[in-house]
Amino acid sequence: MIGMWMLSTAGQAQPAAPAASPQEQYARGRALFSGTADLHGRIYTHVTDMPPRVVRCSNCHAVADGPDVPRSLAPRLTHDLLVRPQARRGGPPSNYDLARFCSLLRRGVDPAFVLISVEMPRYRIDDASCQALWRYLTGAGHEESGR
Amino acid sequence: MKKAAADLARRRVCLGAAAACAAALGSGVAPRARAGLVAADHGRVDPPVPVPDLPVRRAGDGAPAGLAALLRGRATALHLMFTGCSSVCPIEGAIFERVQALLPDQQARGIQLMSLSIDPLGDTPRAMRAWLERFNARQGWIAVAPQRKDLDRLLDLFGAGRNAVDSHATQVNIIDRRGELVFRTPQLPSADAIANILRRV
Repeated sequence: MIGMWMLSTAGQAQPAAPAASPQEQYARGRALFSGTADLHGRIYTHVTDMPPRVVRCSNCHAVADGPDVPRSLAPRLTHDLLVRPQARRGGPPSNYDLARFCSLLRRGVDPAFVLISVEMPRYRIDDASCQALWRYLTGAGHEESGR
Repeated sequence: MKKAAADLARRRVCLGAAAACAAALGSGVAPRARAGLVAADHGRVDPPVPVPDLPVRRAGDGAPAGLAALLRGRATALHLMFTGCSSVCPIEGAIFERVQALLPDQQARGIQLMSLSIDPLGDTPRAMRAWLERFNARQGWIAVAPQRKDLDRLLDLFGAGRNAVDSHATQVNIIDRRGELVFRTPQLPSADAIANILRRV
């Protein structure tokens, strides 16, 4: 966890904020995912942001697995999909970590260095929010409270 | 209840056909209707292709209309959508909302925006009206639904390509005042790009 924190803050010149607890991060991540908290992003060929309601993650993605989880139009974001090494689009095995996940959200480059499709917005997301989203996605269905 | 279930089943078949059609286009299996239309998935359509005069229902009152008649005399930007789509259609709607903001003189210029449903069974006139209202659509932006039997033909014309998460293309088709398809944008074009093209049609 300390390594993750160092990774996420490396090179950042932001004022220190009180560290959120894992539970707070998980709740914040869930809110960002579902759209109850705003995410700001745009289609990468555009010059302006989209309204937050049209770029929320849950419009296209479902989280975790199970009979109660809705179908997922875009890749289903399970713990395994994110953190277990696997070939993505024919490339060598790769996996996400916090830094790669944030890179995908901000620049649209996946762990195999492939540019993802135009339909996936690119987000203006700060380190704390990105870490919260990561905690939620890697914890959902895997551990109830993100502990 | 049985009728609702039957309607849902028919709708799934209908959307499935649309997806299959879009997938065929995306895989390079070009239907005859598309041959000679455009060399690539986007760009100028040369020669222009007349949009067929197919019957459609309009959002709101559900009034029947002919597609060609709705297009003639206006420069039109047309996208595909359906009201139950949560993924790319809201983005498409937000793009058209911004196009209207960029074109305050839209009416005077004879420019219109058209949202063409690919779910003729699910998209009632009322549902389409509600969808337009979600994006603060003003006069000059209409939504229409074709008849189910005409859907594949329209997808052949307007739906070349397929987006990554849903069953239809997100390109915008530009139709000139004679009712001919003259340009097709890349997927999810910016509002600025659409407005610039419409000003020149």
